[in-house]
Amino acid sequence: MLQYVNVNIDGATVRAPRGTSVLDAAIEYGICIPHLCHVPNLSDIGACRLCIVEHVVNGRSEVTTSCTLNVEEGMVIRANTEKIRRLRRNLAELLVAQAPNSRAIQDIALRCGVKEVRYPFRNSDCVLCGRCVRVCTEIWQARAIGFVGRGKDRHVDFPFGIRPDFCKQCGNCIQICPMTIPPCDGPMKPGEEYLCGKCESQLMIADETPGSCTWCKLGEGFGCGRYVGVT
Amino acid sequence: MTRLNSYRELEHLRQRFREQRQNITTTVMVCGGTGCRTSNSQAVIDAVRDELSGQGLDDSVRLCVTGCHGFCEQGPVIIIEPGNIFYCHVSPEDAFEIVYQTVMKGELIERLLYEDPVSGERFKTEAEIPFYKAQDRRILSQNRLVDPCSIEDYIVAGGYSALPRVLNGIAPEEIVNEIKSAGLRGRGGGGFPTGRKWADCMKAPGDEKYVICNADEGDPGAYMDRCVLEGNPHLVLEGMMVGARAVGASKGYIYVRNEYPLAVKNSRIAVEQARELGLLGNNILGSSFSFDVEIARGGGAFVCGESTALMASIEGKVGEPRAKDVHTVVDGLYHQPTTLNNVETWANVPSIILNGSSWFASKGTKGSKGTKILALTGRIKNTGLVEVALGTSIREVVFDIGGGGVNGNLIKAVQTGGPSGGCLPLDKFDLAVDFDILAEAGSMVGSGGMVVMDEETCMVDVAKYFLTFLQDESCGKCLPCRLGIDRMLEIITDITEGRGRMEQLDLLEELGDTISQTALCGLGKTAPNPVLSTLRYFRPEYESHIKEKRCPAGVCKALITYRIDPDKCNGCGVCLRSCVHGAITGEKKEIHVIDTQLCQKCGICRSECKFDAIQVV
Repeated sequence: MLQYVNVNIDGATVRAPRGTSVLDAAIEYGICIPHLCHVPNLSDIGACRLCIVEHVVNGRSEVTTSCTLNVEEGMVIRANTEKIRRLRRNLAELLVAQAPNSRAIQDIALRCGVKEVRYPFRNSDCVLCGRCVRVCTEIWQARAIGFVGRGKDRHVDFPFGIRPDFCKQCGNCIQICPMTIPPCDGPMKPGEEYLCGKCESQLMIADETPGSCTWCKLGEGFGCGRYVGVT
Repeated sequence: MTRLNSYRELEHLRQRFREQRQNITTTVMVCGGTGCRTSNSQAVIDAVRDELSGQGLDDSVRLCVTGCHGFCEQGPVIIIEPGNIFYCHVSPEDAFEIVYQTVMKGELIERLLYEDPVSGERFKTEAEIPFYKAQDRRILSQNRLVDPCSIEDYIVAGGYSALPRVLNGIAPEEIVNEIKSAGLRGRGGGGFPTGRKWADCMKAPGDEKYVICNADEGDPGAYMDRCVLEGNPHLVLEGMMVGARAVGASKGYIYVRNEYPLAVKNSRIAVEQARELGLLGNNILGSSFSFDVEIARGGGAFVCGESTALMASIEGKVGEPRAKDVHTVVDGLYHQPTTLNNVETWANVPSIILNGSSWFASKGTKGSKGTKILALTGRIKNTGLVEVALGTSIREVVFDIGGGGVNGNLIKAVQTGGPSGGCLPLDKFDLAVDFDILAEAGSMVGSGGMVVMDEETCMVDVAKYFLTFLQDESCGKCLPCRLGIDRMLEIITDITEGRGRMEQLDLLEELGDTISQTALCGLGKTAPNPVLSTLRYFRPEYESHIKEKRCPAGVCKALITYRIDPDKCNGCGVCLRSCVHGAITGEKKEIHVIDTQLCQKCGICRSECKFDAIQVV
C-alpha cells in the first residue's frame, strides 16, 4: 500500500507517496521547478542542476537538486527564493551559451530569467543531459549509446563509435532530445548574446508568475514532466 | 607461518620474534620510499647489504629497508640505531665507509651529516635536525621502524595490539565512542568526524557492510597517503580491522591508484601476510569476527577520490559521483552501508584504541584533534612530508620546518589543500592548521598539500594552473562543474593574455559562488576555491593584469617582454649561444639585444646570464 507523506513546498502543503522525488511532487501540484535532464519514468541523475531547491533542515538551508531528493514527512522545501533564482539563472546562462540555437534551451533559459548572456556563444549540438542514454538503457534495455570521455571531452556515442547490432533504431533517443525542436532564427549569433523571448512560447508571462506552471510551450516541446504526466 | 588462533598465540609469536633479534646490536635503516628510490636508494641498499655480508655482520647488524622518512629532499637517507645517526645524500660509494666507520667503529662521517641551509651547522642525530625537531611525528615516526614487506617487523614494533583489544573486551559501541571522544576527523579533505560516520554506519540496517580505505590520492604535490600505505601498510590494515569490528563489516577494500605501484605491491603483500597469520579471514584470533580485505586498483581519475565515484569504480562502473541525498553510510557500495575513510584516518585508529582518546586529543585544537601529515612543497628550502599537531601555525610550518624561501626569496603565499583548497597570503600565516579556521579563511586543510609560493609566482597563473587541472579531471556529469570551470578558465586565460575586462572579475566571483553551491559532488563544490581565494587575497594582481596589462611576477608570457640591461651586459655572448630561437644578436664585447619578435620568452637566457643583465618587463 502506498504511504503518503506531507511536504511543504514554498508554503503549500503537498501530499505525495513515499518514494517520489520532490520534483515530481511539485510538478503534480503545478509548482514550476525548471528542469531539463529529468524525464518521468527515467532514473534521475541530477546532471543539469536546474531543478535546485533549498532544503531547510533545522533552520539551515542546503541547496540540492529536487529530482534526486525523495519526499519525507515534514520536509520543508523552498523552490523559488531569491538565492535559488539567482543560481538557476547562472546555470541556465551557462547552458544557453553552450547551445544558443536550441529552442528548448532558449526557452528554459528564459524561464530561468536569463536575458543577457555574459559568455561568448559556442555552437554545441549537445548539452549532455543524458536523456538519450537513459532512455536507451532503461526503457529499451539496449545500451546502444553511452557517455564517452571525461570532462570537456565527454560526449554521447556508440560503443567504439560504431552503431552496434543491438541498437534497435527505435529513434527514442532522437525524440527525447531537447535539441531536436526546430531552432529559431532569432538573435543567437556571436556578438548578439541575448534572448528576446518574443516567440510563441509566451514565456514573458513567466516573469509575473515565476513559481507556478504556465504550461509553457517549452514543456510541451521536449516533454516536461507536467505534459508527460497528463498524456 | 602457522595460523594464530588466539590472542595468546599472537603474544607468543611477538615474544619469539623479539628473542630472535636479541643478538642484533645495530640497525641500519635505509629509506626505500618512492622519493628516495628516485634518488637511487636501491643501489645504496644493495651496496650496504653487500658490505655488511662482506664484513660478516649479517647476524649482528640488521638492514631495514623502510618506508618514507619524510625528508625526501635529502634522499637517500640512512638512520643508524643506536645513536640515531642521520646520513643524507648517501651514494652507493659511501657504503664501505658507513659500515666500516660508523657501524663497526662508531665513528661519524662528517660529510654525510645534514647541514642546515640556514645556519650552516651540521647535525649528528635525526632528533636534532630542525626539520624533524619542530614536528610531532605520531604516524610517520613508525615508518622508520618497520620494513613494509615484513609483518614480523610490525609485530615486533608492537603492532596488532589494538586488534585483540577490540576482539575481546571492548564492545563495538565503545570503540565508536572512543573514536568520537578522541575527536578524530577525516584526513582526506572534508574533515568529517570519523566517530559520527562510524556510529551512523553501525546503526544503518544492512546484511553486509563494507569498510573502504581511500588511497586514491590525486592532489598535485601531495603524497602523504602514498607514503603511509607504502611505508606501513599493516598499520592501515589494523585500523581497518578495528573499524570493521566497530561498524560490523565483514569485507574491506583498499582503493589504491595504479600509479602508486609500490603502494599496490606493499599493501598486497601485507594482506597476504595477514591472511597467512589468520589476522584476516574467518574467525580472526579465534573470535567470531570474520573480515577480509581486497585491493582495488584505480585507473587514476582524480574524481574517483570522491566517495560515491570511488564506490562506483569498485563496483566496476564508470567512476562518476552520484547525488548524496542518502549518505554512503546508509547506501554505499553495492547499496549497503559503507564506511569510507582516508589512509591517514585509518592509520590513526590503532593508536587511539591502544593509548586512549585522551592521549589522542592531547594534541590539537578545540575542533581539530591529533596530528596531520602535510606535504610541504614549492619554493622553500626543506621540502618533504611533515607531521605536525593540528593548531600549529602556517608560519611555523613554512619557516621553522620549511626553512623559508629558496635563494632568500620573499614568500608570498601558501596554497593549502590541493586543487580544492585556496591560497593564503603572508599576513594570514599566523592562522593555525585547523579544519575550521582554514575553511573560514577560504581555504582548507584538505588532504594536507601545502605548496609555498614566492614573489616569482603569479597568482593568476596559479589559479589558471589549478583550473586547467580541474577541467581535465572533471568527470563532466554535472553542468556547473563541466561548463562552469571551462568558462572560468576561459576568463582567466583572457586575463593572462591581456584581454581581460574589469567586470569579468565580478563574473568570476558570481560563477564561482554558483559552482560551489550547485555542483553535484564535493570536488565540484570546492573547485572554484583556487580562483575565489586568489581573487579575495590577491585582487590587485588581477587588476594589474587587466588595467596595466602587466604581470607583476613576470610569469604570464603574453604580458612580459625580455630585454637586456645595457648597463649590466658586458657582451660575453652566453645568452646568444643559449638562445634556441636565435632571438639575441650582438658582437663580442658589445651590448647584446633581444629581438622581441623572435623571442619566445622561454627564460633560458635569463637563467644562463651570470651578470643578471636580462630583465623581465
